[in-house]
Amino acid sequence: MKTVGAVIFAQNNSSIDYVKLAIFAANRVKTILNIPVSVITDCADWMLSAYPKESTVFDQIIEIEYASTTNQKRFNDGTLSSKFLEWKNLDRNSVYDLTPYDRTLVIDSDYVINSTLLLGALESDHNFQIYKDSRSLSSWRDNTEFERINQYSIPFYWATTFIFEKTPEVKSFFDVISYIKSNWQYFRTLYSIEVATFRNDFAFSIAIHLMNAKTSGIFAQELPGKMLYISDRDLLISIKDGKMKFLIEKENHLGEYTAVSLNDTDVHIMNKLSLTRFIDGGSGV
Amino acid sequence: MEVLVSKGFVVLAQNNKNGDYIRQAYALALSIKSTQIDVTNISLVTNNRVPKKYKAVFDKIIPIPWNDDAKNTQWKIENRWKLYHASPYYETIVLDADMLLLEDISTWWTYCANFDIRFCSKITNYKLENVIDTVHRKTFVANNLSNVYHALHYFKKSKKVAEFYKILEFVVSNWELCYGKFAPLEYQNWLSMDVACAVAIELAGVRDIIDTNSPLQFTHMKSPIQGWTINPESWQDMVPHHLTSNGKLVVGNIAQDKLFHYVEKNFVTDTLLTELEELANVK
Repeated sequence: MKTVGAVIFAQNNSSIDYVKLAIFAANRVKTILNIPVSVITDCADWMLSAYPKESTVFDQIIEIEYASTTNQKRFNDGTLSSKFLEWKNLDRNSVYDLTPYDRTLVIDSDYVINSTLLLGALESDHNFQIYKDSRSLSSWRDNTEFERINQYSIPFYWATTFIFEKTPEVKSFFDVISYIKSNWQYFRTLYSIEVATFRNDFAFSIAIHLMNAKTSGIFAQELPGKMLYISDRDLLISIKDGKMKFLIEKENHLGEYTAVSLNDTDVHIMNKLSLTRFIDGGSGV
Repeated sequence: MEVLVSKGFVVLAQNNKNGDYIRQAYALALSIKSTQIDVTNISLVTNNRVPKKYKAVFDKIIPIPWNDDAKNTQWKIENRWKLYHASPYYETIVLDADMLLLEDISTWWTYCANFDIRFCSKITNYKLENVIDTVHRKTFVANNLSNVYHALHYFKKSKKVAEFYKILEFVVSNWELCYGKFAPLEYQNWLSMDVACAVAIELAGVRDIIDTNSPLQFTHMKSPIQGWTINPESWQDMVPHHLTSNGKLVVGNIAQDKLFHYVEKNFVTDTLLTELEELANVK
């Protein structure tokens, strides 16, 4: 019988406890989607000592080698605060080999499951499903960067959330991602990507494009609906009984926000610091 | 009585001061020879001299019927209504010279065979996004005209189509009068075949000759519809392109499908022509 489960990556940096986020995300997956969840982490021993009870949420703890990285990016925390932090994102392509499941839902640790929407996708026949279309909860921001990897190039796909089944074709896809990662400077030049830092979203987008023979093919099926997200310049207030409340940055008014609430909807909360505050104390503000 | 070959492509080409359209028609013919499985016939309608090398890829080279109505014009379109009469085929697909066929389009023939005439009304940009051209087609929008592209259409020799082309001839010959009646808003003060066809469709009352299910579609490379924030003089300055050894045309890293309307005259370089000749196995 085919095994189905979710996998979450958790690789801490100096300021963000991704393990804590992963535990929170895993609890929601287990409660709402009712599937087992495994974690892929480079700090398994630390996790078991820091979160001995909470770690039991995981079906399996899959350890990968710790590696320091020079990848850095700016992490905003609302409009007025930010810091440059280490960013570990180089192992996503290995999920094909690491997952213990035949059919796997992969989510970022800051992707908050708040509905059963993905259950249908888990039960569908498609071997690889991912979000292409997305929508910010902010109505005024220019989100064209999430439509194409740049205006001259190919469609943008989110490596934040995807579902795959172990098949030779899907294995090829992850092999292609590994190849892109190994030759990142070549591919980023070829696809006119300005930033030098490797980014999974771009690598996935390029790999999907290649799997589709560089045209508009059907290798990647879109996950249901659109991926909703808040930027790291927005704040999470709370999550309670399926209701999520946010503060969304106002246009041209630094430090001012508009309150927004949502029911029964999955949301990618890019402000990890705010999400951490909420997990710690019940309010992300 | 002449027996009509069943199916074929027809292209009209008339050189002007700025462009060698015979050369473009040759490139198109090479692309047809290398990509099409069932229908590879192509006839060239022209009064220009055709180099010997080029002649080999055309089934027929047909003089423009009834004199050259575009003798004194730069944008030589006044003869295009004559293609119905010039075509040697029972079923014809008309293409503009500055196009390349990149994949087999047998399914288009199969679909169109159900009808007497079908015009293309859908285009994409090189990113394969469906686009509606509101930049160059203001008069279409303002006057609610059919969004028709003469650059790609199909017809069968039939009484109904002959009637339509008679009306098209009238519109082309009296375009100022017809535009004034049917396209007075955002008035276009020059003759274009697309507007003329749209007006002919109104006059003939045959809006159904374009339909949303039709597979007729092409990639249009006019710069303003490529979805860029700037509008360059040449799309070739913005995105690279190359033809692969198996005939895939890749623009901005995106493999183009079916029919590609490159628009810019300098697109057909000597190198590209050589590559197309190799693909078509023409020495």
